[in-house]
Amino acid sequence: MEPSASPARPFPLRTRGAVLLALLVAGGWAFAYLDLSFGDLVPNEGGLDIAGRFFGRAFSPALTSEADFVPEGTPPLLVASLAALKTTIVYAAAAMSLSLLLGLFLGFFASTAWWAGDPVGGRTLLGRTLAPAIYGFTRVLIGFMRSVHEVLWAVLFLAAFGLTPLSAVFAIAIPYGGTLAKIFSEMIDEAPRGPALALRGAGASGIQVFFFGLVPRALPDMMAYAFYRFECALRSSAVLGFFGYETIGREIEQAFDGTNYGEVWTHLYVLMAVIVLFDWWSGQLRKRFVA
Amino acid sequence: MSVTAHQTEAHVRALHARRPRSRFLRFSMGFFVLLMAASWFFGDFDPADTFSSRRGANFERFAGEVRPYPLHDEPWDWSVAATWAGERLESGVSKEGSPGGLESAIGTLAISVLAIVIAALASLVFCWFAARNVAAPEPFAPSAAPPSRTRRWLWRGVVGITRLVLILLRSMPEYILAYLIMSMVGSPAWPAVLALAIHNTGILGRLNAETVENVDVKPLVALRGLGASRTRIAAVGIWPAILPRFLLYFFYRWETCVREATVLGILGLASLGWLIDEAQVAFKYDEMVFFILLGVLLVLGGDLVSAVCRRLVRRAS
Repeated sequence: MEPSASPARPFPLRTRGAVLLALLVAGGWAFAYLDLSFGDLVPNEGGLDIAGRFFGRAFSPALTSEADFVPEGTPPLLVASLAALKTTIVYAAAAMSLSLLLGLFLGFFASTAWWAGDPVGGRTLLGRTLAPAIYGFTRVLIGFMRSVHEVLWAVLFLAAFGLTPLSAVFAIAIPYGGTLAKIFSEMIDEAPRGPALALRGAGASGIQVFFFGLVPRALPDMMAYAFYRFECALRSSAVLGFFGYETIGREIEQAFDGTNYGEVWTHLYVLMAVIVLFDWWSGQLRKRFVA
Repeated sequence: MSVTAHQTEAHVRALHARRPRSRFLRFSMGFFVLLMAASWFFGDFDPADTFSSRRGANFERFAGEVRPYPLHDEPWDWSVAATWAGERLESGVSKEGSPGGLESAIGTLAISVLAIVIAALASLVFCWFAARNVAAPEPFAPSAAPPSRTRRWLWRGVVGITRLVLILLRSMPEYILAYLIMSMVGSPAWPAVLALAIHNTGILGRLNAETVENVDVKPLVALRGLGASRTRIAAVGIWPAILPRFLLYFFYRWETCVREATVLGILGLASLGWLIDEAQVAFKYDEMVFFILLGVLLVLGGDLVSAVCRRLVRRAS
């Protein structure tokens, strides 16, 4: 998941203990600041009751609806669960298609390869003034896109436009587009420069060098990373169900609120199955194409 | 020594043969592209509705309400805006009993720090059992008598089960985990901390196990030859070698923890999200946007600290 890989070498012994101690102290500070106690971890009577009933159903998920009152025309539980899963996947895939476009477009401008140094960029006046400005602006833009969580984008869009499926897609696509742009630009910048220099020598233009010299080497890494982000998008899309969208998060919330814990497990298992599938898939891609 | 044209050509051919071109990659790419294209047909997206004039009017009203309340119908005045922002940092949402914005921001930070420390410690328990080179019948040693089939299967089982547990831990989104834990643990911060810690244990456990598997084995084989036990090898031979990577992943996941911690407050837990949600419910969009921007500052600050720390780790190692 961490895209830039450097070989593991031993850490200097002098600072090792200090660094680890500092991290533990930070944890201790957080514990104290939040005024936590391990006693609070033990659920009270009501919590214990809910926990018992909830985990009691872990191995017996519901196959049919458990609600006391089922309105006429309600689809059977499994159909409803799979329909919600379909919506979850559709939102995630639509958001990924937008964020890939955003990521490729902004990733180009956010990389240094297209203007700095010799491999690609020339040393024209325009290249020395305008290009760094575009690069800087793009970096700030993707930083902002990334730093607002997809759920907060969704909350903003809900307030600004009301509930529309497209705004769920945009809510995921904006932060993901920023993240993809950042990672893509770093992958392109870290790709070996040899082929780019060779193309440059053959008389290729900057754009040609970028797309035919640098991108092909970075492409497998970019593919594997995009796949991993799709898995993340599935999770984000599921969570948006808590904000009124018809994804599987809404089914989970409704079943849990109605204390139909068997149903909750059904939806959880359906979501888990898909996420584990894509986790495995992106893991295979990484293993084969990212050394 | 000059390279002949023939040598160059042979080299290029060898490089060409090594390019990634598996059927699996092509299938994955094709599937992914088709899925993305299909999503636009199967989704109930209605651009005509999203970009309708009703929505446009809604947006205009929203844009007006985003201006800080004292400046709603006034010309922009920095000093008034600054006073208003100071009040938000001091006393949060303009309502009784709200925690201050600054206090919530620090609380969000504390949640993320505690969660990632717990996750890192837990992942250090799991990662050995998920690494095929450590969790093996005869680690790092060419044994004279090959291990029995039972022992081989036993260790394979250990690796498989640990990896399954890690996958399941990371498969649930933090938000859903926090929602489920919230009803059982009635504290304002523990559910957020636990949800983030559980999810990130799954991720860090996998990443650290990969690092352990990629460790240079020569020194470990030597240790084994000297008679070191599995635990000794892990503590003396592997841990120092994986520490830089461990720290890189630690900071990388901490960044995402800050982002997620901001949001979890929406569930009613002690983070910035609580203020964002309270402001939204009360239709105080000016305050909502203010706290979202405060979250942006927090996340950007976290990214900066993390980037500096990761650079230091890279330089030190």
